[in-house]
Amino acid sequence: MSFDVPEDRNYLESHEWTTLEEDTVTVGITDFAQDELGDVVFVELPSEGDTVTAGDTFGVIESIKAVSDLYAPVSGEVTAVNEALFDQPELVNDDPFGDGWMLKINVSDDDTSDSLLTAAEYADQIA
Amino acid sequence: MIYEQARYTEGEDKHEPLLSEKDDTTINVGGDDSPLPDSLTRDELSLPALSEPEIARHYTRLSQMNWSIESGPYPLGSCTMKYNPKFTEDIAADPSAAIHPDRRAETAQGNLGMLYGLQEFLGTIGGMDAVTLQPPAGAAGEFTGILVAKAYHEAHGNDKSEVIIPASAHGTNFATAAMAGYEVVELPSAEDGRVDVDALEAAVSEDTAALMLTNPNTVGLFERDIVEIAEMVHDVGGLLYYDGANLNALLGRGRPGDMGFDIMHYNVHKTFATPHGGGGPGAGPVGVVEKLAPYLPSPQVEQTDNGFELFEPEQSIGKVHGFSGNWLVLIKAYAYIARLGDEGLLDASAKAVLNANYLASQIDLEVPYGPFHHEFAATAGDRDAADLAKRMLDFGVHPPTTKWPEMVPEAMLTEPTEIENQASLDDLAEAFNIAFGDSEDAIQQAPSRTTAKRIDQASAARNPRLSWHRLK
Amino acid sequence: MTNGHTDGSPFAPHTDEETAEMLDILGVEQEADLFDIPGDVAFDGKLGIDSRTEQEIRTELSRLFGRNDELVEFMGRGHYAHYVPSIVNHLSLRAEFLTSYTQYQPEITQGFLQVLFEYQSMLVELTGLPIANCSMYDAATSLAEASLLANRVRSTSGDTVLVPEQLRSGKRSVLENYVAGVDMQIETYAMDDGNASIEDIQSVVGDETVAIYAENPTLRGTIEESLSEIGAIAHENDALFILGSDLVALSLLQEPKSVGADVVVGEAGVLGLGSSYGMGLGIFATKEEFLRQVPGRLVGVSEDADDRRAYTLTLQTREQHIRKERATSNICTNQAWVALRTAIHTAWLGPDGLVSLAEDSVTNAASLASDIDEISGYRAPVHDRHHFREFVVRTDQPATAIASDLEAEGFAVHVVGEHELQVCITDVNVHAADELVAAFLEVRQ
Repeated sequence: MSFDVPEDRNYLESHEWTTLEEDTVTVGITDFAQDELGDVVFVELPSEGDTVTAGDTFGVIESIKAVSDLYAPVSGEVTAVNEALFDQPELVNDDPFGDGWMLKINVSDDDTSDSLLTAAEYADQIA
Repeated sequence: MIYEQARYTEGEDKHEPLLSEKDDTTINVGGDDSPLPDSLTRDELSLPALSEPEIARHYTRLSQMNWSIESGPYPLGSCTMKYNPKFTEDIAADPSAAIHPDRRAETAQGNLGMLYGLQEFLGTIGGMDAVTLQPPAGAAGEFTGILVAKAYHEAHGNDKSEVIIPASAHGTNFATAAMAGYEVVELPSAEDGRVDVDALEAAVSEDTAALMLTNPNTVGLFERDIVEIAEMVHDVGGLLYYDGANLNALLGRGRPGDMGFDIMHYNVHKTFATPHGGGGPGAGPVGVVEKLAPYLPSPQVEQTDNGFELFEPEQSIGKVHGFSGNWLVLIKAYAYIARLGDEGLLDASAKAVLNANYLASQIDLEVPYGPFHHEFAATAGDRDAADLAKRMLDFGVHPPTTKWPEMVPEAMLTEPTEIENQASLDDLAEAFNIAFGDSEDAIQQAPSRTTAKRIDQASAARNPRLSWHRLK
Repeated sequence: MTNGHTDGSPFAPHTDEETAEMLDILGVEQEADLFDIPGDVAFDGKLGIDSRTEQEIRTELSRLFGRNDELVEFMGRGHYAHYVPSIVNHLSLRAEFLTSYTQYQPEITQGFLQVLFEYQSMLVELTGLPIANCSMYDAATSLAEASLLANRVRSTSGDTVLVPEQLRSGKRSVLENYVAGVDMQIETYAMDDGNASIEDIQSVVGDETVAIYAENPTLRGTIEESLSEIGAIAHENDALFILGSDLVALSLLQEPKSVGADVVVGEAGVLGLGSSYGMGLGIFATKEEFLRQVPGRLVGVSEDADDRRAYTLTLQTREQHIRKERATSNICTNQAWVALRTAIHTAWLGPDGLVSLAEDSVTNAASLASDIDEISGYRAPVHDRHHFREFVVRTDQPATAIASDLEAEGFAVHVVGEHELQVCITDVNVHAADELVAAFLEVRQ
């Protein structure tokens, strides 16, 4: 089976994707990750204004058969949360790179994140 | 065999209505006639007000929409679904035994005598020196056993922080160790499906409080290196814990105590045929070797010149159940063991292992690991094991445990137990084979002959509706 | 095999011919060849347990249980017997219920799932809290699990659970065992004439408190009068309010929701089980916000492929078989069949029957206490409170001597202090209340 790995973003080994616009990073999970999880039934996310730390967990995603931690790709303040996921967690399955996004993070100056994967590198990882 | 399950259907949208849809009566509570001031009472209460015939019909219909071991084969791996002998229910219903748990020992000699007798039976069967009957389920037994291990280590000044558990173990093992405050060290399996002795060698250390092991393991294999494994754990001052879920394979043929295990729990609702009751109650007695006996829960029953007495073990961990555990279940276990005796217990394990091997030989699915005992893990290969299970429901059998253990891809863990004869094993095999050979389309449509068709699990979890109040 | 035989399992149906054929297909001579147990750990089968016939075992155990003294029990303190109508036995013993497993294949087990869903709903109605699981082992383990829940959701504020000084020692011991693994502390607050001392709770509560536990009725049978204050104190201190009760009491006493309870625990087996030597059915109900922290199984509603309502175990990712060491609890096998019995009993009583039973628990206790109080040498009830089912009697003579003499008269009561007895009255023993009073009179020295 082949999975979408859009070229226009970066990835974590733990299957989150990120895009960077100005100082703001948007985070979600990959097509591969949503397929592994199966039907997503619940997403727990931080609130706007919370801070997250690169490499630490920022939330939890639950499917019928599994539960996984979500890892922050960068450090910073949460500026937006996709509240639609609270009522429609299936958006993560239906459109993981679009409507299934989770957080927007305003990257802090002392952000220590590095080693994000390129699309090609991530595609290799899940191959 | 073809199976059409009962299905009462009302209107387009539901089956047997809820009690609350049959009647919902709200009454005022408190007021002038109340023996209590209104400040101490609730205001109102809404419950169904139905006559006895209406209630009888409701529950009878619900029972008809439910599968059971008396309906047909129920080969759930690791669950040991045996026939539950009727006479044990009649004994458990003895009004003379229905007494209060705080009765003085002198006035409760009958109940204490039964408890003592069962302690003795279980100790002998497991090769253990002392047994507590208090834990109300297998998981509670595990918790009790690990607490006993912890108390032992603390009393001996052993600084232990880890419990080692094979990756293929029952999920309860991991949860139990964590509840007791231990770190879990997960042990990979060797290629042959057994404990990887080299990996264990690397994992054991002075920090090892215990190794929790199921034997035969969760794919039915006997851990042939058990003596060496026990030595490795004992050499670092650790204890060996036996998960009794698979004891049915060993009855009369091998005793955990003789293999070097220090602690074990028994699942009497598996091995000793007490009814599962739709999820419980079970009972999870725990046996230990002599050096651990002083730490067992309180009270224990002993026999003295004065009859049966209760005593608190010297360094008891205290209690794991508010009273004496699941009393009614314990009675049934005693009666079952007494009925079988030595010969019957040996025959139970013989026929359980014979049945598993025979069934495996009659199905088209591959069984990657062997020689297995009372259960086997077949693989559905590139099919989805859970989907095949749904198809099996249409053929008058319950499917096996699916997708576990994970060491077998798309596992169908199957344990027919000794109670099936050749003909019903053939029925089971046919259900396996039909499902395995069916088109993907037919599989996705299944089940079609059960009360409910395929149920949307995601909908239940995304929008939790957990009481009838949410449906109004 | 036949039921008369004793040289094999009567519950393994194989004929000799059948066994031989199966062995032949497998290419082995005998069953023993199928076992892979090394010789050094193999056992010879000589356990020394003689097989008995069904009839012999019934006689043996009937004789054994006959050794229990025949006493009319006026006992409670956490284990209560109410009359269980015949319908409970007849319906719950239907094999389709009794011999069924956990509902891991919901399509074929809709009946039991609906039973459990209805049981959860009854608890939701009685507690006022929207989430109830489909059972814990007993009241003690429910309290322990509730404390662990409080610790998980309030771990930032501390690690102490406050419990009443008057707590059954067994319940306290279970609690200690469960919370030790997460290094929680247990502190007690004092009682004031049977009920929780609000003053003392105020003085012990603090930043480190994650939960306050109170019981209604209390261990000594008194009815709490300040539950709302306890709830308020808990919430002011960012702690949960855990309330312990039982199914009958809940039908009459203040609704837990109305007094701010965050978790309700206690005993549901007071209906459906009868006296069963301490066997129970733990209540566990809580608020929506703690849904994903609930231990044990939950039954929810969904739809099947025909779009009809269907029931299923849900939110299973909380449980040990998926989340392993991060599960909310290790509980797996629970008390489902007891929940079935309790639900049938509750349905049979209906709202009026249930509330009457509860009201009788108040009036009968008051009336029996007053009758005993009239006898010189006794004072009852000791506490100047309303009582539910049970009350404490002060005795001039040593309580053990009185209890022992009452036993000789055919009655069992609790000794709870040097000069204190505890007496419990329900619909099961109310017929003998006058005789108990006469016995109290008789044994007075």
